Amino acid sequence: MTDEYEHFEAVVVGAGPGGAAAAATLAEQGVETLVLERGVDAGSKNVSGGLIYAEKSASYTIDSVFDGFREEASERPVSEYYIHNLAGGKVKTLDLSTIHHHDTEWCDAVLRRKMDSWLAERVHEKCSETGGGLLTDVRVNGLLREDGDIVGVTCDEIDPIRADVILAADGVNSELAREAGLMDWDDPDEWFQGVKAVVDMDPDAIDERFGVDPDDGVAHLFSGDLFEGVRGGGFLYTNEDSLSIGTVFHLDSLAERRAEPHELLDALLTHPLLDRWLDGEYEEREYAAKLVPDSKKAANPSPHRGRLLLVGDAAGQMQAQGPIIKGMNHAVTAGGLAAEAFIEARTRGDTDVAGDLYERKLVDEGVMAKLRPRRYRMTRRLSENRLATKVAGCLVDSLLGRTGMKLLDGVVERAFNSPFLLGMVPDTRTSYVTVPRVLGETLGERIEAENDIEPPDLADRIGGLTYDVGDPHIELLDESHEASGTAVTACPVSAEDFGGGCYRSETVERNGDTRQVVSLDTQPCVECGTCAVVADTHWEHPAGGNGVEFRDG
Amino acid sequence: MPEMDPTDHDIAELGPKIKDIDDEAELEEMLALEEGGEGRDPVVTLIEDRLQKVSGDDEGSDPASIDLTESTIADIANMIRGIDDVEVLQDVLEREKEGKNRKGAKSRIEKKIDDLQENDEEAEIEYAPPEERYPELDHPTNDKQYVEGTVDGEYRDMWVYCETQQGALIDVSREMLGKARELMDGYNEAYDESETVVAVLVGDEVADLAEECLAYGADRVVYHEDERLDRFRHKPYTEIFCHMCRDWGPGWRDYHEPRYTLFPATNNGRDLSALVQGELDSGLASDCSGLYIEAADISNPAKTGTPGESRTFERVLHMKRPDFSGFEYSTILCIDKPHRDFHPQGASVIPGSFEIPEADAEAEGEVFEHDTDLPEEWFHIEVTDYDQLEDGVDLAGNEVVVALGRGIGEQPTKGMELGLELVDVFEEADLGLSRGVITASYEFDTHVEEYVTEERQVGESGQVVEPELYIAAGISGAIQHKVGMDESDTIVAINTDPDAEIRDFSDYYIEGDLFEVLPRLTEALKEGELSRVVAGVDDD
Ligand SMILES: Cc1cc2nc3c(=O)[nH]c(=O)nc-3n(C[C@H](O)[C@H](O)[C@H](O)COP(=O)(O)OP(=O)(O)OC[C@H]3O[C@@H](n4cnc5c(N)ncnc54)[C@H](O)[C@@H]3O)c2cc1C
Ligand SMILES: Cc1cc2nc3c(=O)[nH]c(=O)nc-3n(C[C@H](O)[C@H](O)[C@H](O)COP(=O)(O)OP(=O)(O)OC[C@H]3O[C@@H](n4cnc5c(N)ncnc54)[C@H](O)[C@@H]3O)c2cc1C
Ligand code: SF4
Repeated sequence: MTDEYEHFEAVVVGAGPGGAAAAATLAEQGVETLVLERGVDAGSKNVSGGLIYAEKSASYTIDSVFDGFREEASERPVSEYYIHNLAGGKVKTLDLSTIHHHDTEWCDAVLRRKMDSWLAERVHEKCSETGGGLLTDVRVNGLLREDGDIVGVTCDEIDPIRADVILAADGVNSELAREAGLMDWDDPDEWFQGVKAVVDMDPDAIDERFGVDPDDGVAHLFSGDLFEGVRGGGFLYTNEDSLSIGTVFHLDSLAERRAEPHELLDALLTHPLLDRWLDGEYEEREYAAKLVPDSKKAANPSPHRGRLLLVGDAAGQMQAQGPIIKGMNHAVTAGGLAAEAFIEARTRGDTDVAGDLYERKLVDEGVMAKLRPRRYRMTRRLSENRLATKVAGCLVDSLLGRTGMKLLDGVVERAFNSPFLLGMVPDTRTSYVTVPRVLGETLGERIEAENDIEPPDLADRIGGLTYDVGDPHIELLDESHEASGTAVTACPVSAEDFGGGCYRSETVERNGDTRQVVSLDTQPCVECGTCAVVADTHWEHPAGGNGVEFRDG
Repeated sequence: MPEMDPTDHDIAELGPKIKDIDDEAELEEMLALEEGGEGRDPVVTLIEDRLQKVSGDDEGSDPASIDLTESTIADIANMIRGIDDVEVLQDVLEREKEGKNRKGAKSRIEKKIDDLQENDEEAEIEYAPPEERYPELDHPTNDKQYVEGTVDGEYRDMWVYCETQQGALIDVSREMLGKARELMDGYNEAYDESETVVAVLVGDEVADLAEECLAYGADRVVYHEDERLDRFRHKPYTEIFCHMCRDWGPGWRDYHEPRYTLFPATNNGRDLSALVQGELDSGLASDCSGLYIEAADISNPAKTGTPGESRTFERVLHMKRPDFSGFEYSTILCIDKPHRDFHPQGASVIPGSFEIPEADAEAEGEVFEHDTDLPEEWFHIEVTDYDQLEDGVDLAGNEVVVALGRGIGEQPTKGMELGLELVDVFEEADLGLSRGVITASYEFDTHVEEYVTEERQVGESGQVVEPELYIAAGISGAIQHKVGMDESDTIVAINTDPDAEIRDFSDYYIEGDLFEVLPRLTEALKEGELSRVVAGVDDD
């Protein structure tokens, strides 16, 4: 039966940076390649902070695969990089340019809609020449199997497609990776949640307020006491005529503390420190959110099964190097390597070995070492155990720690700038909250400004997004508060006491018995993936062309 | 010599080739060759058309004023190609005679004048069947005996397919019968005829409905009953309808096919109408909302057979249909061609387009059973399962909409009851809901649960309503809700929150608990005193 289906040499699922790099590399070697993307336009579903890095050590970078990328698809180059440690109205700013420039050929800020749709055009051109192309509005909903073997993909909108290789570059919450048993969505501590606002700002105002040249930009990172003890931090990147301001938190911490992501974002936006750039003006263009895998825990060292190869976020290849977030660049490298692996396997006349070759390349090219540093694996057990955290926290908090810190001024900056030390930083409150707070308190300067901007409320944020709603794509399996209540707070478009969100707390009475439950309406969903992990749901992406459509991303 | 001598080729070959020639001189030469040879008109036209396209400068020179002595013969030939006015040509001819008096120029102008005059004298297009005209194409309808076959056939009567559901006529069937009656009465009077309205019933146990068809306007009813026809199925329904009106012979049906056919534009009716009209080798105007019978002046030569002539076609059913936007209408006519009839003139009719007529219990007419055997192979598709959809809720037609939101959350059932009680006070009112209520996990008692459906949702992804009065209780006024109701004449909002969003677009804002305000509102309205409620609330 399945012979009747259309066949391509390669099918690439997803047109983010990973899929685009893979498809372009395949097509350039004459591999007949079909790319399937569920958005109405490539990029319409995607969110990054986002700084895209070209690493010197990487075998593929976005501009090595796509000529003219920097001129056409990115915003400003980012040449300066600061972190602000905040505590009780004080700030201690460290210059992290050294770590930022470490192994960095260049680094640009990007907005994903513009970037991905530009990439998609190139990809389509290249793939068309091989007899393939890029199709938008198509959601892949599963793997096509024959006698249990993966032989292709099935889609909501079009007939199943057979292929010699399937590159799943379908991002975080990859349904294909889950179906193949290569990734699961069970453990909140393997994920971050990123939330971001794109803020309108005149290019001249950016130049002036940030002290940058018209064709230059800067990154500011934030940590300390402004996030109610939730582990994570904030970022601000300069685009051509807008700012990307957002937060990235450990999902387990967010869930545990019942924090409201939009409130944490607002805490950053309204922090007095930001007044020096916002200057009392705030025009939010877009509110967006997405899960981010933590490669240290989630990256699958063997991301393939049969003809299926996972690339980028789908394989958990998203590296958080202290405050530096590197996902897009690794997706590009992995995409290139996966393509290379298939081409090599084809030359050998045995396309079935593509997966093994890919796995080996990830190691040989040093990608795996960046994603899952040995140092981290070693220190983790020690310092993430609660007692150790407590002790370390006390230590830092103690007079001794503080005095030490004072003495260390300068050394701290150097320590933050060491990739070696950053790779070791354990994911505890000590490193995210306590150290920065103490830094701020002990070494910080007082912030005098007042920031009275008013970010839009959730209802307005939802109202500002574009949706093409279709059938509900998330099914709530257990509506009890115990099983799914966390989603009410953790969902970036829901909140306690807000009736307009996806998840809402409700009290129901039956036969005199009162229960706390949650209800779900997927219409305002931004498809971030959070509730797939923190609630008891059956979670899928909406059908092609349906759901939220980001204009900036 | 041009690359291609047209006289060596037949027309079918020349068409595509000439399209590729861009050289004017070459085309001129080809034209000369053809005119010197057989001078086949279509070939000449083909080359001339191409010349005109290539030269592209047929405007700009006004034939009435141009200095002919400055023009070459080719210029003149090009120029007059675009002139259809004999007088202008006469003038050009005169000036040429007074000027250079070239034979080649004069003959061209004279020929053009002759052509035009000839056309005026009814130069009927010679008919050749499509197989002859386009031998290079395949002709899939060749074996359809009726396609090119029927010319000047005899057509009478208006046949109306009366759809039934659960053993009853659906409203649009009644609407069509009423309209058909009206149309045929007018028709018979205008043309002094006595053609009839024929109702068609197909199904299981439909004979009982024949009387009703007569009451709503049919003169005759033809029915076919079979238990296998209890649900609509494409093959047997199509075959039966076509057989009844084309092949079957009770004495009165002595014509070829019906003059007019009407079908309902329902799901089944749309399918059937297309299949039947296709089988009867005619066209279909689908989804019509207006019908009238009138003469039509038509100048399309495909219909008149004579270019430049306009002809009046009598007894044409004018079928009006909205375009896809719903803002504009097209009127569709289905008219015979010289060598092919297009009958029946058929339409499918949007339900609700016409009034249901008064039933006339006294009406008389004839009822016929179409009693033929139905071959088993027509039934090879089996209906294994079906579902009955609920009647839709249409909030739009109401004077008053009482809408409830998540403010009912504390006691959802009670809230619904209070809303429904208020609805009952008004004559034309119904209950609307915010999406927030529909997607909630509230547990409603069964007597109100049936109301909690998406069909009652007001807003962006629900219905848009503009009643005279919109009462929003416990609704915050999210933008997606607002777009569904803010055109209402008067908006009254009841909300515990003193500055809920909805306040901005309400005419009256009652700050209060809906569980208290709604019953007082209901009571006051029963007593006819709205003002007391408002006053009462203010006192609190
Ligand atoms: C707030 C935030 C800040 C971030 N900051 C940075 C940063 O500064 N620098 C950085 O490098 N990274 C950053 N990241 C991470 C980065 O966005 C990702 O690592 C990167 O996008 C991964 O690329 P990808 O190609 O693997 O997947 P994606 O870019 O997610 O692309 C996946 C594509 O697949 C499509 N798709 C998914 N499922 C299907 C399906 N079933 N059928 C068809 N198509 C499908 C999607 O629509 C999408 O286009 C950030 C992420 C977030 C959320
Ligand atoms: C793409 C998209 C499409 C949507 N389409 C629609 C749509 O078509 N229609 C629609 O309605 N929504 C739609 N929504 C949802 C919409 O955004 C809101 O979430 C929804 O309208 C909220 O419903 P609500 O006002 O009942 O609930 P809430 O926003 O929770 O408001 C409840 C209100 O009740 C008040 N209240 C509480 N208790 C009482 C009491 N005892 N007495 C009086 N007042 C009380 C509260 O103060 C509050 O103002 C859509 C959303 C999206 C994203
Ligand atoms: S419903 Fe789930 S996927 Fe959608 S925005 Fe909320 S948490 Fe994210």
